[in-house]
Amino acid sequence: MHIPDGFLPATVCAAGYVVAAPVTWYSLRRINQKENPRADIPKASLLTAAFFVVSWIHIPVPPTSVHLVLNGLLGAVLGYFAFPAILIGLFFQAVMFQHGGLTTLGVNALIMGLPALLSYYIFRLRNITDKRQRIMTGVFGFLAGFVSVGVSVGMFAVILLTSIPADLDVVTERAAIYTLALAHLPLMVIEGVFTALVTVFLWRVRPQLLDNT
Amino acid sequence: MRIGIDEYAYLGSPLHHWDPRYKFIGLMAVIFAFSFVRDLRMLAVMVTVTAVIYIISKLPFSFWLTRLRYPSFFLMVVVLLLPFVSGHTIIMSIGPLDLRQEGLIAVLLIAIRFVSILTIGLVLFGTAPFLTTIKAMRALGLPAILTDMTLLAFRYLNEIGDDLHKMETSMKLRGFHERRFSRHGLGILAWLGGSILVRSYEQSEWVYKAMIVRGYGHAVHPREEFKASSRDLIALIAILLVAVGFIAGDILCRREAMALLQ
Repeated sequence: MHIPDGFLPATVCAAGYVVAAPVTWYSLRRINQKENPRADIPKASLLTAAFFVVSWIHIPVPPTSVHLVLNGLLGAVLGYFAFPAILIGLFFQAVMFQHGGLTTLGVNALIMGLPALLSYYIFRLRNITDKRQRIMTGVFGFLAGFVSVGVSVGMFAVILLTSIPADLDVVTERAAIYTLALAHLPLMVIEGVFTALVTVFLWRVRPQLLDNT
Repeated sequence: MRIGIDEYAYLGSPLHHWDPRYKFIGLMAVIFAFSFVRDLRMLAVMVTVTAVIYIISKLPFSFWLTRLRYPSFFLMVVVLLLPFVSGHTIIMSIGPLDLRQEGLIAVLLIAIRFVSILTIGLVLFGTAPFLTTIKAMRALGLPAILTDMTLLAFRYLNEIGDDLHKMETSMKLRGFHERRFSRHGLGILAWLGGSILVRSYEQSEWVYKAMIVRGYGHAVHPREEFKASSRDLIALIAILLVAVGFIAGDILCRREAMALLQ
């Protein structure tokens, strides 16, 4: 779900950076407002690397296998660190694996990062009651994973199909967006279940990891 | 798992010796200028400039081929799909499918821009140690938090990757061979992912303590890490002119094309 270099016109790439910059600035500002912002940096950095590695786990979905996006889980665990973490993860992917791109880094960061921040707010809703914390963590973990991938797919499809330098008519464009969304529906469910299982696991084993939210 | 984007950083080409800050500015300008190109005539110039820069870098051809393998899958999907769905001018029919001129042009544009930008990106990050490039980005104004996070994440990426590899091997040795999707299998993989996160979190606490002991968070005297010569500056001006030339050339070509159509 990363748009490679060369697919988008320069204006869209530039617009991606222009919008991603204030979102990054806002995230860093919220991080700096913490009592000791530097204390969280090693934690966020190692978790950024860990999320990057966990996304290599392949889930068998015959006849193939899928790897997870994990931006919902990132939002749930890292809070405001999620956006810079995604920016760094995408930068690594573009530089080391040529997956995504350097010109499209801003656009891709928005596609993955904005839903991650949305998931952070969704996952925080588990604290509306102190009762049944395990179930609440699971339910809002599922929603965080499900919604984040859904929003990312929607943004990816709309940006790619409306900006790609190809002469697509409205009907083809709409059909492609619906097909992409439908094709990703099973992934959204798998991502939701996986996020719920991991958040419940963390809640039981290391609840401090969910302190951000 | 080893990530060898800078495995040829030891070579001695002019691009290897170029000040990393100037190289970053110059090659990023070229990359963005390439993404600006929409006229087909400029594509030939783009390929030539890319080839010249890659040859000057002395990076092996095999390195380029290896790096192209993974992203080319996405490109293949577009190459196979777009000529049949984009545009109105049918140039050939293959069974029920119509091959369209506009789609073919779009594929040519996307593919050449994609490969050219990817190649320049390889030169940018393949001709200096990765950490040096990050430090150059810091010197150019990348926020401290982002720099620290990037350096730390990069430092532990291989280690955490090795942890995952060991844990997956252990799971296989204990009989976990999930070939079909199941709720049980997904649960085990979620615990695997969760365990990686917990291990990394615990390790980060030790890393933070070690960093504090070494003075992390205290003001440091800025050190002149990079020193640019007049040759670095001339190279930067030259490459910026190339980038501006691409934008100007593309605008002129498109104006000419519009005038011919009218």
